[in-house]
Amino acid sequence: MLFSRRLMLGLAMAGALAFPALAEGPTEIDLFFPVPVDGKLARDMGTLIKEFNETHPDIKATAVYTGSYDDTLIKTRAAIKAGKPPAAVIMSANFLLDMQIENELTNLDSLIAADGTTKEQFLGQFFPALQGNAVINRSVYGVPFHNSTPLLYINAEQAKEAGLDPNKPPQTWAELTDWAKKLTRREGDKVTRWGIAIPCAYDYCGWMMETLTMSNGGRYYNEEFGGEVYYDTPSMLGALTWWNDLVTKHKVHAPGATPGPAVSTSFISGNAAMMMLSTGSLTYVRDNAKFAYKVAFIPRNVRNAVPIGGASLIIPAGLEADKQKAAWTLIKWMTSPEKSAWWSRATGYFAPNMAAYKTPDMIDFLSKNPDAKTAVEQLDVAKPWFATYKTVPVRKTLEDEVMLVLNGKKQPKEALAAAQKAADELLKPYNAETSLKLP
Amino acid sequence: MKLFKGLFEDAPLATRREITPKLGFALTVLFAIVWLIPFLWMVVATLRPASEGINAMAELMPSVKPTLDNIGDAWEIGDFPRYFLNTTFICTGILLVQFVTITLAGFAFARLAFAGKTLIFYLFLMQLMLVPVLLIVPNLRLVAQLGLYDTLTGVMMPFFASAFGTFLMRQAFEAIPTELEDAALIDGAGLLQRIRHIYVPLSLPSFSAFAIISVTSHWNDFLWPLMVINSPDKRPLTVGLSVFTATAEGTQAWGTIAAGTLMVIAPLLITFLIFQKRFISSFVTSGIK
Repeated sequence: MLFSRRLMLGLAMAGALAFPALAEGPTEIDLFFPVPVDGKLARDMGTLIKEFNETHPDIKATAVYTGSYDDTLIKTRAAIKAGKPPAAVIMSANFLLDMQIENELTNLDSLIAADGTTKEQFLGQFFPALQGNAVINRSVYGVPFHNSTPLLYINAEQAKEAGLDPNKPPQTWAELTDWAKKLTRREGDKVTRWGIAIPCAYDYCGWMMETLTMSNGGRYYNEEFGGEVYYDTPSMLGALTWWNDLVTKHKVHAPGATPGPAVSTSFISGNAAMMMLSTGSLTYVRDNAKFAYKVAFIPRNVRNAVPIGGASLIIPAGLEADKQKAAWTLIKWMTSPEKSAWWSRATGYFAPNMAAYKTPDMIDFLSKNPDAKTAVEQLDVAKPWFATYKTVPVRKTLEDEVMLVLNGKKQPKEALAAAQKAADELLKPYNAETSLKLP
Repeated sequence: MKLFKGLFEDAPLATRREITPKLGFALTVLFAIVWLIPFLWMVVATLRPASEGINAMAELMPSVKPTLDNIGDAWEIGDFPRYFLNTTFICTGILLVQFVTITLAGFAFARLAFAGKTLIFYLFLMQLMLVPVLLIVPNLRLVAQLGLYDTLTGVMMPFFASAFGTFLMRQAFEAIPTELEDAALIDGAGLLQRIRHIYVPLSLPSFSAFAIISVTSHWNDFLWPLMVINSPDKRPLTVGLSVFTATAEGTQAWGTIAAGTLMVIAPLLITFLIFQKRFISSFVTSGIK
């Protein structure tokens, strides 16, 4: 490897002497990508990048697999601090604010202006609900790539069997609780089928809490400012109490904090009749469910509302100009209607580029798979994904407490107070620098 | 059944009627079974056709029609021969350098007299208490400054010195009688010759115990190689495997994961089975039980 690279370098040098015009090789860039869904997508990502390299001879992009969303953030940050920033990263959409606060992101405004377009025109390609996680202080920092909303998945056959109409899915928490009770099967004290499953593992748990809190009329955090979270509020208390009631009072939800893959597995195997899960799992469910299923909006208690999930493409700070330009070309290509639509069909995430839904392939796909429309329709009530200063640790303060509640070790009220206290402590330095710093 | 015979019939007369050894034996068998279940599940899941569905996935009973499809799938998703090569290269590279550094450092702490010896030794031991994650950014910055970012050498470098190994060798060397060294000294052996011909051969069990610990821990390391390596052709097994096991928003192909995991642990497992006796005896004689 080393030898061949040296050989290449030698040849390039020789070439440089002979034909100065040919000396410049392609700009080599790295794209960091996490695999948030089925691992076979790592292969699809390889296909995508190969196609890009074939159509752009002046750029050589390498797709670098970087673990989960959280691992990707760690790796990107470490690489930036080590002076080796990657050219582009598929970054969890809610990490952008934290990275912008730490000066780790390239402001994309000038790249957009250099293309001769305005910010409004550029952002106008994407669903309006996605802008909250891409625009910070009126500057563009991220380009939406694959996005999700939570959905309610229903096993239609089990619903019919229980005398419920899967074409009229539950719309309120009251109806959902009622459905879950009717769908739960028991043999004596033993539950043989759970009515509903909601995932709670790091990353997912915070997202589900935001979903439930929003449907309960509340907010998770201050969308305008990165220093405040609203854990200890009535809307969140109501949400966590309802979730806890499903476990302890109604006994229709398995006790304990269940990770996402376990939830989808028990739904596919028929051990859970309903589940709340990302639209990112839709392709997996479609490929593996051996029964008719339905996807529906997340039911409301107070209002219909869901958070955005998924990832945006970013350019880290501190890159050379030529790499930045190459990364920008890659990003624009990946988020174009055709590529966006292709990736959406492969994963189940919805395509953030609205024009993707006007491509012939996508129209054809949607006519065969109407379930893929639900997440897009739900976008009308979608709001930004939780993002604060130190997003991951602040999120984990809540997740740790929610897990304790679901494991039966704490009551919702005291758990939320503890989470709020821990989060406030983490946010303190930022508030001291911003909201509490008085002239 | 020979085992039971050994316990009941062939046992020495004094212990034949005692309850404690039998209880101990029963507990050992119990623990062995508990340990074996996930392993068995992995083998069964690897050979189960995906068509039997996820329901069947949780069962321990092997499929009636076993298949090698999962292994094929895993093999196709990851470039396993290359991952194996990279991991082997990393583990042996680290171990070889470690052998040199821990021998010399261990000897210095065991036998040489120098100013601040105790203090430096305690500083060495303190390193054991640091969580490796804490050192990711400073280590990575150093690795990048040395031009080793995205190289296998970069993955190996932070582990060239080992506090644990130094401690282990110090203990081993201290147990060797100084008279042996004195005799060599009279015969005119230099410092390195004494280490080479007296200390090293007499501490072989400690070396092999350390080798096992070092190789298994670096074989399984995930986060650090993930940080250093960008090029797909330099991935070690753990990073390669996680390409299809790490999921955030949903789903998992259990059969493929089981197959991949089996391939990753197979070399370690086979080595263990072949050298079983030697492994165990090295732990016993080096005092780690």
